[in-house]
Amino acid sequence: MNKQNRIWLLSAILIVLCVGTINAQINIGGVVTDQLGLPIPGANILEKGTTNGATTDFDGKFQLAVASKKSSIEVSFMGFQTAVLQVGDKTTFTISLKEDVAALDEVVVVGYGSMKKSDLTGSVTSVKMDDIPSKPSNSIDGLLQGQVAGVQVITSSDDPGAGATVRIRGGSSLNGGNDPLVVVDGFPIGYAGDLKQISPQDIASMEVLKDASASAIYGSRGANGVIMITTKKGAKHTTEVTVSQQNTFSSFTSDLNLWRDPVLMAELSNESRINGGFVPLYIGTEDANGVYYPSLGELKDGSWSYNTKWDDVVFRSPVSNNTNLAIRSQTDKTQFSLSTTHFTQEGVYIEDDYKKLNINLNVIHKLYDGKVSVGGNVIYSKGDRTNNSDLAYWRNPIFPVYENNDPTQDYFLAGSQDYSHPIALVENRTNTNEFKDFIGSAFVDIQLLPSLKLKTQLNYKTGQSITDYYNPKIYTEDGTFNNGSGGINNWDSEETVAETFLTYNKMFNEKHKFTAMGGFSYQYYEARSSDLKAYDFLNESLGNGNLAAGNPEKQTVANAYTETVMYSGLGRFNYVYDDKYMATFTMRADGSSKFGDNNKWAYFPSGALGWKMHQEDFIKDLDVFNELKLRASFGISGNQGISPYLINSRYGQDQYYVNGGWQTAIGPGYVVGWDSQTGKKTWGGIPNPDLKWETTRQFNIGGDFAFFDRKLKVTLDYYNKYTTDLLRERLLSPSSSYDKMWVNDGEIENQGIELTINGTIFKNEDWSFGGSLMFSKNKNEVVSLGNELSSGLTTDALTGIKYEFSGSTVEAFRAIPNILAVGQPINVFYGYRVDGIVQSEAEGLAAGLTGDLAQPGEFKYVDLNEDGVIDEDDRSIIGDPNPDFIASLNLQASYKNFDISMFFNGSFGQDIFNTKSFGEAGNMPLRWTQDNPTNSYPSLRDGRTNYMSDWYIEEGSFVRLQNLSIGYNLNDIDLPWLKRGRIFVNGTNLFTITDFKGYDPEIGTDGIYWGGYPKLRNWTLGVEFTF
Amino acid sequence: MGLTLVLGFVSCESLDVEPKGFYSDENFYKTIEDAEASMLYAYDGLTQVSYAPVTYYLTELASDNCIVKPDEGADAQAFVNWEVTSQNQLLTQYYRSCYIAINRANAVIENVEGRGFNENDENRLLGEALFLRAYNHFNAVKAFGLAPLQTSLIDKLDETTASLPADMQVVYAFLISDLERAINYLEVNRVVGRVDKIAAQALLSKVYLFAASAKESGVPKYETILESVENLYAKAAQYSGDVLFNQGEYSHDLNLQNIYNVEMPNGPEHIFILSMDSSGTAEGDYSKLSKYFIPWIGGATVYLKNIDDSFSPTHDGWSVFQTTDDLFTAYNTDDLRRNNLFVSEVFDETGASLGTTGDGVVAYPFTRKYIDPNFEGDKTSTRPYLLRYSDIQLVYAEAAANAEGLVQYNNIRNRAGVSELADLSGLSKEEFRQLVIEERQRELAYEGDRLWDLRRTNTVQAKVTQAAGLSPEAVAFYPIPQREIDLNPNIN
Repeated sequence: MNKQNRIWLLSAILIVLCVGTINAQINIGGVVTDQLGLPIPGANILEKGTTNGATTDFDGKFQLAVASKKSSIEVSFMGFQTAVLQVGDKTTFTISLKEDVAALDEVVVVGYGSMKKSDLTGSVTSVKMDDIPSKPSNSIDGLLQGQVAGVQVITSSDDPGAGATVRIRGGSSLNGGNDPLVVVDGFPIGYAGDLKQISPQDIASMEVLKDASASAIYGSRGANGVIMITTKKGAKHTTEVTVSQQNTFSSFTSDLNLWRDPVLMAELSNESRINGGFVPLYIGTEDANGVYYPSLGELKDGSWSYNTKWDDVVFRSPVSNNTNLAIRSQTDKTQFSLSTTHFTQEGVYIEDDYKKLNINLNVIHKLYDGKVSVGGNVIYSKGDRTNNSDLAYWRNPIFPVYENNDPTQDYFLAGSQDYSHPIALVENRTNTNEFKDFIGSAFVDIQLLPSLKLKTQLNYKTGQSITDYYNPKIYTEDGTFNNGSGGINNWDSEETVAETFLTYNKMFNEKHKFTAMGGFSYQYYEARSSDLKAYDFLNESLGNGNLAAGNPEKQTVANAYTETVMYSGLGRFNYVYDDKYMATFTMRADGSSKFGDNNKWAYFPSGALGWKMHQEDFIKDLDVFNELKLRASFGISGNQGISPYLINSRYGQDQYYVNGGWQTAIGPGYVVGWDSQTGKKTWGGIPNPDLKWETTRQFNIGGDFAFFDRKLKVTLDYYNKYTTDLLRERLLSPSSSYDKMWVNDGEIENQGIELTINGTIFKNEDWSFGGSLMFSKNKNEVVSLGNELSSGLTTDALTGIKYEFSGSTVEAFRAIPNILAVGQPINVFYGYRVDGIVQSEAEGLAAGLTGDLAQPGEFKYVDLNEDGVIDEDDRSIIGDPNPDFIASLNLQASYKNFDISMFFNGSFGQDIFNTKSFGEAGNMPLRWTQDNPTNSYPSLRDGRTNYMSDWYIEEGSFVRLQNLSIGYNLNDIDLPWLKRGRIFVNGTNLFTITDFKGYDPEIGTDGIYWGGYPKLRNWTLGVEFTF
Repeated sequence: MGLTLVLGFVSCESLDVEPKGFYSDENFYKTIEDAEASMLYAYDGLTQVSYAPVTYYLTELASDNCIVKPDEGADAQAFVNWEVTSQNQLLTQYYRSCYIAINRANAVIENVEGRGFNENDENRLLGEALFLRAYNHFNAVKAFGLAPLQTSLIDKLDETTASLPADMQVVYAFLISDLERAINYLEVNRVVGRVDKIAAQALLSKVYLFAASAKESGVPKYETILESVENLYAKAAQYSGDVLFNQGEYSHDLNLQNIYNVEMPNGPEHIFILSMDSSGTAEGDYSKLSKYFIPWIGGATVYLKNIDDSFSPTHDGWSVFQTTDDLFTAYNTDDLRRNNLFVSEVFDETGASLGTTGDGVVAYPFTRKYIDPNFEGDKTSTRPYLLRYSDIQLVYAEAAANAEGLVQYNNIRNRAGVSELADLSGLSKEEFRQLVIEERQRELAYEGDRLWDLRRTNTVQAKVTQAAGLSPEAVAFYPIPQREIDLNPNIN
């Protein structure tokens, strides 16, 4: 219930109390219900044309004395269409209110307040959880996928407990992070991607603040957009107990592409090694590491008969379980909600598990006739992860699991340096993580004056994580090298956010509606970590249980501490004239300990205008639009994803061996990383007193349209996001003794279009059919990477484009595939071009290739600059991992109590660098040979220097049936103890249409495909009962 | 919760958070212990992987002592082939490593002087820091000629664009001044891995000798040094004489093996030896120098025969610095430094021969100067020999070029079991100095001085065929790294 309504209600009650009993001529009474017949408490009954009225009680009943039979009564309740009835002869009424399909008065949560959706001037999308039922997800990120235009959610990992990548309107930062801020019930608890503390079952709605007018109120944390989460509170005037249970069964979407025929594998391996000038492996002798490889003959005649399906050894069909029990209750004064969620998830690898328990308690209590409300929220979350997600399903099939394939014998190890035996690792090593989180918040909301409200909210969050590991003396590399190694990593963080703001709400002359809000915010964050390691264990039976048992001379400890403080002032001013013209202005000032002394305070203003054209007579006369609203906004928001302390000088620490022992050495110069080319340390530690946030200016223009009694709704937005002062490292002259320093230098632009179409295609008492289509196109461009010299940019020989490499080296190519290039989208691919395969040495030489590279069967690299030689100058931009557009389609249908929904998700036009295009079981047999002079694949040759080339680039467009859900609602079941029930089946990742040759095209934003295993398909059975 | 309102008004002063997890200029240099730790950080600068091993790429590969293994990177080949450009990564590493160590020394100087510490401590720390500042600048000067002189601590952006010194006179005046001050501040006080007064005298004698011979032989830019060649030689003789005749801590070690015994870093010869130890956790703390000098012999532990017919184990290496025939044949066949300090045959643990240079199992005769029988994997305690008594003996011999010098020269030859030079008759000073330089190659091979000897005597092109055809400037100095030119508007 928003403020205006609350005030109105309050006054209505007062009026009723004072006036209602004076002229009692006809007494009427009755009950007000919703369409399901459930009573509506607190509905207003007003004798039309008078101030005489009443409200319904807890059971929806009312009594009212009206003037005469000719009187009309008006029955209204928020969210329902107002009913008007002539009193006539009746004295008892059963009034069934229809829900307001127009929902114009839907309230949406915005930063530091809420407002009527119709009064919004910014680009805000609201997702009500009731609208996306039975979508199983263990994190809030998954729920958002495909629900909001302009929001891209990538779930590239099927690891248990894995997070997702969430981008709102593209990435606008290189080093400051691109994850949107997440605010839960007013508490900015962190950034999207891995928010495990909030159970999806506890969420009532999510609002995505996309443009600057909406997000600038979050200032230096708003540039990536903001996701506002509202959790479920008490049920409406009743007590409800809800139990839900979901079980998910998963399996691979396709077969694994592994060697099944050891003879073929061995033949091709030998061929490759011989071509490379190496001694072949499969010749029936031991190799340099003492591993015996059988000869082809032994493999063929079955005298070496092992053919292990390692994927069967390593993988399983995982099952997840999600149980939620919630009690929600509301009385006139108090509402509370207690919800517990227990979630267990099996990984597809054996012994790879995730477990989580969330408890969420929420209480709100009203005092002094509702003028004061106090409330609190406590979330406790704990869980653990046993990590075995690195097991070698790709292991050579000629190796048995156990000696002689006999499970009673020892593991079969391939030589003394075999560190990939999956069963040995699972049974002997430790790698677990435990986490605990506590989130608490308390608020007081005081109605100081009818038009003035004060809210203070204090939020606290703490999290702990402990990682335990032990690598035994055999089976692991680290353990072998160190004679056993174990350790414990501890991490602990604390965050306090205290906010107070005043909201003033007033309507003047029935036409001028003002809302003003102003307040302060204080935020304190601290994180500590410690890292204990020990090596060289006498006895391994305790694992890492007693690190002191390791060799005392080899124990190491490390710890770290960070602390940040932020003060903010903020304000918003809304004005609506005549319910037609709207203006919003916001302002936030952030002062952060992370900012340099010369830039301590950041200011983030925004402004927006809106015009409800459908309120104008000339639009009404057209009789086309139910809604026609135009919006325009401009604002500035920031990204303060800077590590703390970059504004401080920072000394380095090392040790120097003096007088027979190590002594601590400390001084200027601190290791900030390792150079990707030389592998040597890079030095920093010089402070930058000018360091500040990244600044994003965003312009947004859009419109909301509704037609055919709001059965068709369209929202269209265009935005332009321009980010300056990109946080980057500049190079310093080597004679300064420093290599790098953090500065603000560089610019990125994102612009795009978002379109949402919602339609109710057909609806009657039994049937309904509708859907929504979302389309987002974002164009990203690196406008500037700062000063060419101080940024150390390289010039592309052919085009003169300035660029730098981004990311890390892919070993197989000894190249970094992605670059940041001025004038190009983020992370385009850079490399050589390939024009088929060299068929003869003459052809190779003619193409400018030399030596091994000119031989038949090699890649025919293109001499792009036509200088007669293939060298680094022949590289160019060869692909773009950013999609041209993303789209999703939701279809929903229901018949009586059955419903079905389908959700298609698609991404179009992105390129993928497929590192597994060659060298895998599936494609090696297709190699070039003298007998198979193909132009599609090169020959097999061990030791070939692979260059990063467009031969490895594939189009990654896909359309996926992400979700199919069939449910049955038990509404009419005549069980007195059961209020509602629902049974559903849900399938995710059911099929994918794509030309991509790897397992799945949904990968990280850098577009590099690393192989791995197929994506999982999940079937979930769920039941939910409310008592 | 009313507190929240109040907090909103707190001034922005509390926006500063004190770093609690690391040291910075806000919380360091409070005590003498801080200053000591900072001093060690300056020494630690010399152990960097980008510095200590890279030294030999410059001094041994570019000279007639070593060539590099064929599949080492192009930047390493460039040193052998005298094709080092300003883009060379190894060159850039060396350059910046000099300045990293210099800045650490400057941090000590700036934070010790006048802080009210005990005068003895202050003098000692200042002396050591001044020594290191000079030592690293001298390295930069030997490699690059006119390179920036950093006279104060750099901790602000506007201090990061140094200029080049005007000429060599300015450079040498700076080096000499630092070392004279260091000599004044320091006492004789041997600590392995650190320096004392004798080290400062030794280094100063080398600075003077470099200037003397470079000016004498017409090395470009050295004509600007004001002092006469004679006076420069005299100063070199004076300071090396101080080392040889005015102290009792360091001395000529009669046992050749002892000098290179990894267990004896405190042997009489070691005026300044870098301290590294195999118990360290990261390269730089421990040393991999042995890996660079020893050839690859199948990846296994091999055994080296000692002069008493016992055996010492070692890992094999990476074959990076490979002995040239020029160097190996520079020794007489009876030279103990050839017969006892080179390895041409390796054995297994039973003492059976695994192979020799003759059968190719040992790719080239390699030095025993960097062998650690107590190696752990790649980790060793093999240390760079930064200033050795024998070196200063030869400095004196060369500088004095008289009968006293001859004694020192013969001393070195005597230990190596090769014939002494009876007297100087019939030899000009130049000719005797030439003999000393040749002796220096044999005595100090693999110790990181050969290229400097060739450069200061202007004999690079005479000794290294790959350097033929280069300009005198290109022979005498490596180019200032491109990265410096790109990023420093004051240098172009």
